[in-house]
Amino acid sequence: MNELYAAAIHEVKNQLAELALRLRERGDAAVEMEIAWNAARRLTKILMQDRELWVNTDTVNPADFLGALAAEYAELFPHLSIQVDTGAAPDCTFFDEALVRMALGNALHNACRFAKSQIRLTAIQKDALLMLQICDDGLGYPASLLEANGELPAAASGTGTGLGLYLAGKIARLHLNHGRQGFIELSNQPGTCFRMFLP
Amino acid sequence: MATVSKISDKWVLVIDDLEGMRSQLRMSLSSSGFAKLHVVSNIKEALDRLAANHYDVILCDYSLGDGTNGQQFLEYLRTADLINRNTIFIMITAEQAYTNVVAAAECAPDDYILKPFTSAEFTARFEKLLDRQMYFAAIDQASDKKNWDEMILECDKRLASRDKYYFDLSKIKGVALMRNNQVAEAETLYREIITLRPLNWARLGLARTLAKQNKKDQAEALAREILHEAPQFMAAYDFLSKLMVESGDKISALEVLQKARQISPGTMNRIRELSELAVNTNQPEIAENIMRETLRKHKYSPVRQANDYALLSRALTHQGKTADALSVLQDAGKSFTDSHSKQLLALTETDVHRADGNDTLALAALDKAMSAGEISSFSPEALIALADACFALKRDEQATFLLQHAVQNNHENTTIKDKVHTVLVAAGRDPSEASALIAASTAEIIALNNEGVRRAQAGELSQAIELLSEAAQRLPNNLQILGNAALVIALDLVRNGKSADKLTQVLAFRSSLRKQSPQHPKLEQIDNMLRQLKS
Repeated sequence: MNELYAAAIHEVKNQLAELALRLRERGDAAVEMEIAWNAARRLTKILMQDRELWVNTDTVNPADFLGALAAEYAELFPHLSIQVDTGAAPDCTFFDEALVRMALGNALHNACRFAKSQIRLTAIQKDALLMLQICDDGLGYPASLLEANGELPAAASGTGTGLGLYLAGKIARLHLNHGRQGFIELSNQPGTCFRMFLP
Repeated sequence: MATVSKISDKWVLVIDDLEGMRSQLRMSLSSSGFAKLHVVSNIKEALDRLAANHYDVILCDYSLGDGTNGQQFLEYLRTADLINRNTIFIMITAEQAYTNVVAAAECAPDDYILKPFTSAEFTARFEKLLDRQMYFAAIDQASDKKNWDEMILECDKRLASRDKYYFDLSKIKGVALMRNNQVAEAETLYREIITLRPLNWARLGLARTLAKQNKKDQAEALAREILHEAPQFMAAYDFLSKLMVESGDKISALEVLQKARQISPGTMNRIRELSELAVNTNQPEIAENIMRETLRKHKYSPVRQANDYALLSRALTHQGKTADALSVLQDAGKSFTDSHSKQLLALTETDVHRADGNDTLALAALDKAMSAGEISSFSPEALIALADACFALKRDEQATFLLQHAVQNNHENTTIKDKVHTVLVAAGRDPSEASALIAASTAEIIALNNEGVRRAQAGELSQAIELLSEAAQRLPNNLQILGNAALVIALDLVRNGKSADKLTQVLAFRSSLRKQSPQHPKLEQIDNMLRQLKS
């Protein structure tokens, strides 16, 4: 992407975010606020797409991490119940907090859009892998997204979901430890179930 | 969980150049229960607030209108010791790109929040930070006091429980161990962490311990490996560059910092180091470009120093652009009027005139530099630089006097003695003659110190006080003299009763010693003596 375009997208992204905040202050435009908010986030993703990503792995407490993520989306989607379960994860896990927050934020945002009433965030340590999982009680992923499993789908979906999952897969694969690489896994159980495995 | 009462007690400072953002933050914070809130729009106002109040939390936007960014501001606050270690510093940024670099910076904020954010996310993360602040309070206090032993002890108390802060505690303990010169212990700690997980900070910590143990090749290899895998890990560039300088390879050091500059616009300290290296490796045009750009950007910012202008002036002088060099110094003189800055600028001016071959103007500038303050207030670096200029302008006697003073004021410091030696040899002295001069100055001050102690032991307290106090005032950086002067006055107070003047004097010496060396062994002896006085 040429630098001028990147700067312009950046500018518009910030303006949309400010618009969203002003709409929220008004308190009578929840739907409009969300449109502006989502548009800002999509632009953030497009900007990310283009940049070389570096991983800075450090310690993260999964309960604090998922707790903050749940709090953020509970405010945006007050009609949904978002539960966090980190009982089967250790106190200290290792990943790039900023990158994984972005990937999971995107997956959680999708879940919030498709869920009927409930979303569950889980962290579990399994065979030297940390699994971060987001499941909802909606209708599940469309077949094309399940097939792609985080690869860029042939035709980018109109909702931007495919792009977000592609980015999440890229972020997972950047995490390396002792020869093992992170990955994502999508399934319908029957609602969407997004899993990120980190070494 | 952080309770509401905890939050309402906290003082918060918000710095953001955008009005919309300020009001949003003010609203979010008030609705989260924060009651003590100051909101400012630029660094100058922030500094005014910081001078008058203590803040528990600082929220700062990364991009601040006037050219200095939030990261450079944080670096300035930490370098100048303007905030406590326990103050929570949160960086707000609109660009994901920065978080990558900021997170791995030498001087990292406690947390960073990406715009746009919701107030619920903000509050959730805030509460965790407040919990963390309380958990680390005692450790941070020890750190502010530079009491490394206590800091290590407080870390050990908490490490035993292996809770979620285990790695954070280990990281902080590693720094304290290095400050305390417990290099072997630090190495063990870093190796243990690396076994659990090869985190970059632990690998860089290990590289630091290797460098300290003279395993420079291993340290360099490790630092290069870190940078190969994580090119955004800025602290590793700074370390590697210093390592190269120590091995005498300034050209490689400069290359390392130039690579760092491609990743991040850079902290002020890195920009300074880079410019200095460029001038010293005869590439003044690099220094000129970087310093000019930096000073243009930070034109009205408090993060500038007189030395930045001096560096630019030197870069210009090295290219023969002496008229430009002089106008840079003139410009700096308007902003920097303290005696230390004045001296530095006058000294730099001396070099410009010398390069022009105008010894008359050079001598006038040198006189300005010499009269900028009492000689006892000159830093060793300033003394050595002044001496160098004196030699160049054939004022050998004055030069020798300055160098003797530098040695006597720091007679246990080999680095300074080495620099004095270099200047003497550069001025044409025979190396053995230079060593003899340094040895004689050292011997003279040791003899004076011993005489003071001997007289005190012989009960001639007033003679001892006279001798040591005079020396301590003349040589305020000589810690041995300073400690002994305080000790004999305290002894006199215990034996011969209280005297307001003497008490003031002993407290002044003691606080000067403490400031320069917080864990100096003489401090305990002085304090024991003063306690006897109270009872």
